[in-house]
Amino acid sequence: MRPRRMILMMVLPLLVITFPALPASAAINVQCPGDTDGDAVWAAPEAQPGNTVCIHLTAGDGFVTMADGKLQYMFGFSDVTGTPPHMVMDRGMLAANFAAPTIKVKEGQNVYLSLSNVGMIIRPDLFDPHTVHWHGFPNAASIFDGEPMASISVNMNATLTYYYQAPDPGTYMYHCHVEATEHMQMGMLGNLYVTAAQDDLPNGTPLNHNGSTFVHTTGNKYVYNDGDGSTYYDVDFPIQIHAFDSNFHDLHLDVQPLPFAMMKDNYPMLNGRGYPDTVNPNPLTPPMENMEKVSQAVSSLVTTNADRKVLLRISSLSTIDFFTLTVLGIPMKVVGKDAKLLRSSTGQNLYYTTNSVTLGGGESADVILDTTGVAPGTYFLYTTNLNNLSNNTEDYGGMMTEIVIN
Amino acid sequence: MRKLSVRTKWPVMIIMAVLLTIPVAAHGAIQGATGTTFNLTAVAGHISTADGNSIYMWGYGLNGVMQYPGPTLIVDQGASVTVNLTNSLSVPVSIVFPGQSGVSAVGGVPGLLAQEAPPNSGTVSYTFTASQPGTYLYYSGSQPELQIEMGLVGALIVRPTINPTTQAYNHADSQFSREYLFLLSEMDPTIHENVEAGMMGLVDFTRYFPVYWFINGRAAPDTMSSANAPWLPTQPYNCMPMMHPGDRVLMRMIGAGRDMHPFHTHGNHHKIIARDGRLLSSSVGAGADLGEFAFTTTVVPGSTADAIFTWTGEKLGWDLYGHTGPNGEIGAACTAAGMPMEPGEYEADHCKPFPVILPGQLELTFGQFYSGSPFLGAMGSLPPGEGGFNPNGGFFFMWHSHAEKEITNFDIFPGGMLSMMLIEHPNVMLMNP
Repeated sequence: MRPRRMILMMVLPLLVITFPALPASAAINVQCPGDTDGDAVWAAPEAQPGNTVCIHLTAGDGFVTMADGKLQYMFGFSDVTGTPPHMVMDRGMLAANFAAPTIKVKEGQNVYLSLSNVGMIIRPDLFDPHTVHWHGFPNAASIFDGEPMASISVNMNATLTYYYQAPDPGTYMYHCHVEATEHMQMGMLGNLYVTAAQDDLPNGTPLNHNGSTFVHTTGNKYVYNDGDGSTYYDVDFPIQIHAFDSNFHDLHLDVQPLPFAMMKDNYPMLNGRGYPDTVNPNPLTPPMENMEKVSQAVSSLVTTNADRKVLLRISSLSTIDFFTLTVLGIPMKVVGKDAKLLRSSTGQNLYYTTNSVTLGGGESADVILDTTGVAPGTYFLYTTNLNNLSNNTEDYGGMMTEIVIN
Repeated sequence: MRKLSVRTKWPVMIIMAVLLTIPVAAHGAIQGATGTTFNLTAVAGHISTADGNSIYMWGYGLNGVMQYPGPTLIVDQGASVTVNLTNSLSVPVSIVFPGQSGVSAVGGVPGLLAQEAPPNSGTVSYTFTASQPGTYLYYSGSQPELQIEMGLVGALIVRPTINPTTQAYNHADSQFSREYLFLLSEMDPTIHENVEAGMMGLVDFTRYFPVYWFINGRAAPDTMSSANAPWLPTQPYNCMPMMHPGDRVLMRMIGAGRDMHPFHTHGNHHKIIARDGRLLSSSVGAGADLGEFAFTTTVVPGSTADAIFTWTGEKLGWDLYGHTGPNGEIGAACTAAGMPMEPGEYEADHCKPFPVILPGQLELTFGQFYSGSPFLGAMGSLPPGEGGFNPNGGFFFMWHSHAEKEITNFDIFPGGMLSMMLIEHPNVMLMNP
């Protein structure tokens, strides 16, 4: 560990000195209607077109800290929306986030998602392109699907703008699909969800599906366009399941052949952290190895007042195992699976109440916790695959977080 | 970086998928053995994996030739089905038919789960009535933890009484235009090496650690080679789904190993309409009203799931065919020029311009299945040596295990439980299968 760290400390200043000297900004080319200065945001006199959202991500490498203190090299995304083009390389290099920045859009929005590849600073021998795969996008076109064999991927110092007319509401996920086993194990994984158009109905709109007497009130939120208010929620939290194999990451950092066959995760996580880091409401203290750029910003702490409906948008991007999550003490009502409302073709709601949800990689579930009548206190959300309640050899950790009811 | 090492293998795919396949105008059909009587032999042989390995197997074969998986037995609902098993192996072998009731056996000797064919040319015969349509599997009931791993497993398809070539069940909800089999399995070659060497005492399932993953007995990219490819003599079945926009593709998914696999369909959701040979019905005659949409389905060992996949390309917000007016007009001018619609095209997007400018060629890496154009049925320029596997400008979508470790072949990416589904322009005839 120590020699590696010394090497890093020597190499990093060199890289920092070297890179600004490159003609870096030429290919940072954000396409965002109405934005004239290329930073993916609108500032007067720029005019934001209606129903349009722009996002600018970088893809590269970086470092994160496991809950037991172990440093992990990783690949990942970073959100540089609002960054002027000439500063994107500087901001995006070594800024990989785990989990990737959460993408939240509204149903029907025109989404312009620009991806800039800032390169692998710690692995200058690699020339990997990157993509964004919007996992679960309905009626996708290959060009914006991010699966590199069927389309295009983004080289270093280049930018591709993906366009999506945000489809049906629900909980999706996104990840890089280039050399998917490697890039996903290395951490290019994030939450992505689409909120329902039903949220924006005029005040007082009746929702009469199947004889319902529900009336929409401005401010109400729903998981889906249910037509009967049955997926109403007060507050939502994305919870993504994933895990790291530290051996894989360490061999990557050491420029060794990668052990695909022997891949075995030992750091189970929610939103890029193991317990107890999962309940830290703030970004984790960034490691000095990535120039102290924040790399673990997504908390998994669920806080709510009593008598609220809490929506957990659970997704899994585990690259190996299935995981089961349970909530101790609060029933879990499953209303959606894989970004689809659980409803029969004849209109009957097929929601079910359970105390566990099992997901493999690439699956999602929408779970509502009704805290009505639940005593204030701290409740636990954790995996029942019990060996994963650990941060490698450290016990009392891993895939667990807390639900605090005030 | 790693893909360079396997790139030389992929040209095989284009030859197979595009040139050597036999055009059939009818619906895509699943390869297999049809009839009411099947003469199977349990026999040893070898299969190839896409990384160049050769693995010792036991399998059910027709005409005495080992194959993996065993022949897909395709029978009609109501038929009395007889399966005669001859055992060429040196261990007792049998067949169980999960989901079938009233299976009777003639001959052989009693085993724990089924009547067995004794080693070295013993025989046994099973008979049952295929009373319910659907997707099933069959496998050895003799030391199944070893023998299924060794390859003694196959698919059983019972076609319904009503519209047997275009429906999976006796209800229109199961109507399909094309159907494909997805028999998923995994493999630990250490087991096979020990069995081949006759060192049965070293076979240790407590250390079971699969490093190969298969669809229909092939590891990618062999999944995309043609069925009955001569260089894969013991792996006759491929998995190369193809469709036109609007088609209903029936996916018959089978968990034929010991692990669960999250099977992901790029391109769109699929709708699970049946599990284990029963429509997801709330009541008799209700069809698949309890069907579940999924973009990833957990395929469970010993279990089957039937799904309908459709894709229309609707609501992209741009014209997926890239229509322009006769003088290159886009948008309203294109619409005003009266450019005709493609069959089934989503009208609201007709003539809508492509929303972004794609970067220059030096800024991108191109996939072998990319046509060079974002539009369906169109070709675009590509750098020399790039693309080439997509001569009709189709849209390819990867269908694969989303346990991403499983899309490798013993340390080599990509491979394993992966195939590419192809959507062709409505005017392009689909190859089959």
